[in-house]
Amino acid sequence: MKRLLLIVVILLLSYAFFQSTNILHITAGVAIFLFGMRNLEEGFRFFVGGLLDQFLKKITHNLYRSILFGTVITTLMQSSGLAAVIAISFISAGLISVAQGIGIILGGNIGTTTGAWLIAGLGLKINIATYALPMLVFGTLFVFQENKRLKGIGYALVGLGFSFLGIAYMKEGFDAFKETIDLTQYSADGLKGILLFALIGMIVTMISQSSHASLVLILTALSASQITYENAIALTIGANLGTPITAIIGALGASFEGKKLAGAHFLINSLTGFLLIGFVPQFIHFIDLTAPFLGIAENDYTLKLALYHTYFNLICVLLFAPMVHGLVTLLNRVFKPKEVAEKERDDVLFINDVALDFPDTAQAILLKETKHLYNNIFDIIAQGISVTKEDIASGMEVDDILIRRNKAMHVNMDEYYELRIKEIYGKIINFAILAQGKFSDESNRRLIPIKNATLGMVEAFKASKHMQKNMLFYLESDNEYIRQEYNHIRKNLIKHLRNMQLIINTTEEDVAILLLSKLQFDAQKYDIAANKSLDNLIRTNKITYTMATSLMNDTTYAYTIVSELTKVAHTLFIHADTQSSEGREALILNESEITDLTHSTEQRSTS
Amino acid sequence: MNGLKFIHSVKALFGISTPNEEGTKKQTIKELLQKLKLRRITLKQELKDESDLIKREAIHDSIKIIKKQIKKGKEILDE
Repeated sequence: MKRLLLIVVILLLSYAFFQSTNILHITAGVAIFLFGMRNLEEGFRFFVGGLLDQFLKKITHNLYRSILFGTVITTLMQSSGLAAVIAISFISAGLISVAQGIGIILGGNIGTTTGAWLIAGLGLKINIATYALPMLVFGTLFVFQENKRLKGIGYALVGLGFSFLGIAYMKEGFDAFKETIDLTQYSADGLKGILLFALIGMIVTMISQSSHASLVLILTALSASQITYENAIALTIGANLGTPITAIIGALGASFEGKKLAGAHFLINSLTGFLLIGFVPQFIHFIDLTAPFLGIAENDYTLKLALYHTYFNLICVLLFAPMVHGLVTLLNRVFKPKEVAEKERDDVLFINDVALDFPDTAQAILLKETKHLYNNIFDIIAQGISVTKEDIASGMEVDDILIRRNKAMHVNMDEYYELRIKEIYGKIINFAILAQGKFSDESNRRLIPIKNATLGMVEAFKASKHMQKNMLFYLESDNEYIRQEYNHIRKNLIKHLRNMQLIINTTEEDVAILLLSKLQFDAQKYDIAANKSLDNLIRTNKITYTMATSLMNDTTYAYTIVSELTKVAHTLFIHADTQSSEGREALILNESEITDLTHSTEQRSTS
Repeated sequence: MNGLKFIHSVKALFGISTPNEEGTKKQTIKELLQKLKLRRITLKQELKDESDLIKREAIHDSIKIIKKQIKKGKEILDE
């Protein structure tokens, strides 16, 4: 369907180009302008990447600061769609709340108005192409530099240069049109005209995915008197209605929180648009009244349109800023996290490509996705020892769990791996590798342990899979000694898994620090105890040598599960807060300190 | 004002200046030590009230670990 549409558009444009070189000029202008915008965005990402998420964390504590942030970002990037995509990425990473994200969207709407003022006030009044060419030359010079910042400046200059060139082409196209054909003969009056032109504005914005490009097109057409002022206002409303499409496309790969924000963007712009469609004549009158106070001449329709655009977006903010929390409640009802059925393929929840531009966001997203994978692996490891994750999370005594789950649970671990682990694991590793290639050594230093934790989790899963075969067999064995030994492994694993859940979910730092050291302590203690009991069983012929080798192997596998998952819990806890990570790390006992403690305890119990 | 100083001033203005790493670490440890000391008191109380032998041993192990952690933390602070 998409391909068919593309072919139709290409054919239609080709026909139009043969019919009129002016159409070619105007569409080439739009294409060059969009290419310029793309470069400007690229430059912006190069230039501020790392600073932006740090800045965001500090500044978006409340709604009004979020609005300010959105305004500044959009003014700099000249793309409210991109500001929304960035906000979606930050929400997915948990750096900001949905309410703060809505603040950025509202601010973004104000930010877009600056572009309209610049183009209407300067772009269309001077020969903008004369500035474009040197910008392109100097920009290209900078793009070839090794330094990341200079490269960023280069892309921004090239972006501005192309945008100016695009505007010049559009202007030229419309001016030439004026000599051959008068497009105003197709203008439509009244509500019918407003609705028709709003629809055209919306379609143009949906295709170009940039309300800014649409606005430039409208302003150049208006300055060449190829559209009426009233129709230009309707087109502007349409452009605002089409803006959220970029955010909706950006939200397709985002978490459900991101989808909420795209929903909010859509609601805000469409409700304001539909509301204001009914008041166009009244607004024209209002602009006529207020424009002289700003020094706008009576016949300067481009500046009047910029003023209308500003009013439109200010109303948007004034209408929705007081009801942001109500909007969030509504969105919470509409968008709910999707529960993945047991037999359904699970996929990443947080990873998105936009985050690759911001080190802190990338780290936060990587942590969240690793936790997501951890939950799946935790689930299957629990099933591998014939209990459920609910059993472990319950407050039930471990012995009672074993009595309740005294039968082996047959779970297909390979199938589980294919459905719930493989995809997420692959995407986490891929994301981490891409991020490592983009950020500084300092940021990479924080990403590597998280990536290694993912690898460790899969090792734990493999160990659990190897252990499961014997576990299923011996849990139903007639030999009560081997059954007891396997139940002993289960008991210890349940205790460990329970502690790990506590570490992952607790908000009390001291509890996590204590438990992380205790996990290692128990792992060593348990290893010593298990080996001793095994020796006794072999000496007294209570188990066969086949049982003994199985038990020895499975004790090793159990140890692998525990040690790998302990490392995972350690990493997830340490890196959850970058500020206090070093202090937390310092208080967790290392291996030799744990060994000292274990031996002192052992000596005490044997003496 | 050179470039680096200017960046620092701007960062400070917006509240995004990076604090001294060593200072942050020690501050975190100090706060954590206080929490660990309180936890040790709670655990000692729990030990008094607990009659189950296995649970008593687990609590005892926890107290030992906390003791070592507090000692380690104090050593870092004294450095």
